[in-house]
Amino acid sequence: MDALLAQVRAQFTASLPSKVAALQQLVARGVWEEARRAAHKLRGSASTYGHTALGATAGAIEEALLATSDQPDEEARAGIAARLAEAHAQAAQATRGVGDAE
Amino acid sequence: MSRQRTRPTDAPASSEPAPVFHSGELLADTYEIRALLGTGGMGEVYEAHDRVLNRRVAIKIVRPGLNSDYLLREGRALAAIHHPGVVGVHTMGLHRGTAFLVLERVQGLSLDRMLIDRRGRGERFGVGEALDLLVAIADALSVVHRAGLAHRDVKPGNVMLAPGGRIVLMDFGLVLPQADRAGHRSVAGSLQYMPPEALTGDVAEGAATLGDVYALGVLGFELLSGIEPFDGAEPLQLYRAKTHAHQPRVSEHRSDVPVQLDELISQLMAPAPDDRPQGAEAAVWALRAMRGRMGNGGALRPLSVLIVDDDVDMRDALTLYVRAAAPDAEVESTQGGRQALKSVRRRVPDLLLLDLDLPDINGIEVCMLLRGMQLGDACMIVSVSGRATRADVELLQQLGVQSLEKGPALMTELVQLVQRLRPGLK
Repeated sequence: MDALLAQVRAQFTASLPSKVAALQQLVARGVWEEARRAAHKLRGSASTYGHTALGATAGAIEEALLATSDQPDEEARAGIAARLAEAHAQAAQATRGVGDAE
Repeated sequence: MSRQRTRPTDAPASSEPAPVFHSGELLADTYEIRALLGTGGMGEVYEAHDRVLNRRVAIKIVRPGLNSDYLLREGRALAAIHHPGVVGVHTMGLHRGTAFLVLERVQGLSLDRMLIDRRGRGERFGVGEALDLLVAIADALSVVHRAGLAHRDVKPGNVMLAPGGRIVLMDFGLVLPQADRAGHRSVAGSLQYMPPEALTGDVAEGAATLGDVYALGVLGFELLSGIEPFDGAEPLQLYRAKTHAHQPRVSEHRSDVPVQLDELISQLMAPAPDDRPQGAEAAVWALRAMRGRMGNGGALRPLSVLIVDDDVDMRDALTLYVRAAAPDAEVESTQGGRQALKSVRRRVPDLLLLDLDLPDINGIEVCMLLRGMQLGDACMIVSVSGRATRADVELLQQLGVQSLEKGPALMTELVQLVQRLRPGLK
């Protein structure tokens, strides 16, 4: 069971950069509800798999999207973009095995 | 081993004084005393006729000269709870300087009496029968605990089997709020059922309900084995027995008890409070799940689990965590609330792990629908959420739903929870 858990965790970790990229795509397309849901999922799964810092960043993106109305203003978009950059860095770090889960 | 009956240790010895009220006496122009039902170390219970509402009631008093705070505390505790498993309170009053509590008159047989009768006939409770009783008692106790109270005198003598299969928890004379730290330091209760920490007056803050959990375990042991688990009549003797390295097991007395039930009873009676299920709520779900999984032969079928989450990564993680705790569990997973409802209608799982933020129906709404349809009563519902608010958690608690948070501690918490539902699997 431990080996299986490690395998699933490794697969999940490897998928993190693409998950962050997908979230960024949704933000770029301006589909805010879908973006919020993606951020919500990443928040829960990343922190559950031990990537707590990335989970927290995804949580901040979700909260930012929740706090905005249908159309986030410039300031909100800039904040979300900064968080996304942070998430990219954290995901890349995790795949290199230096994330907070390791 | 003898079935030694004990009375609350903080109660003064009774020299059998004359009853305070006499037959025919009228209290508050309403309650006509009919008969003395029983006396204890501290008080008396009468049967009376309510002339206004034309019904039978029970009147409870504390003997003159003794602290009547107990009565007020009991009345207030009962007033905060409405549950068929808890005796109902009507009102309080004062008559000739004696405070009295007017209670629902529960007619039936005490569990104590039943145990003695069965033993006299050389019989004992069937495993299924004992489980039914334990589920009902634990259910009533969980309501008491949810009200922020600890009963502190759970024992067969305080459980009444009433007509219609109703099982009622009685005698809340020692009840205290969980937060009353000083009160919990006082040694009170019935020695056989008291946890070791209560025997030494060393109950930690907020841990009084774990004493009730312990008593539930002792009661379960007695129901299943027909005898009390611990020898001795003196507190020190009992303390030693209750903290001894070798703890009694039901399986030492009967071979047909499922290993999981044997393990659960042992966990309820764990000498260290932290090793017990943390509250009657946890115990009731474990017992209920066990009852639901018990076939005619007494063997338990595998634990069935339904996972509801729209994130495939979470479904994978939760499936693995469940299997880590119960390798033989039958795990089904689904993405949305509607599918979850459909699945539960088809087959009620023992455990439902539910994300709150679902794409179609909100998880809280799913819980309400399940509770409303009474489909979910046989299963333990646990919300697994990334951002449940305090209000969400409180609402879920009212619906009898436990909450877990997505995060690095989830695996440990879920494994522990499943092991409580399926004791014996480590």
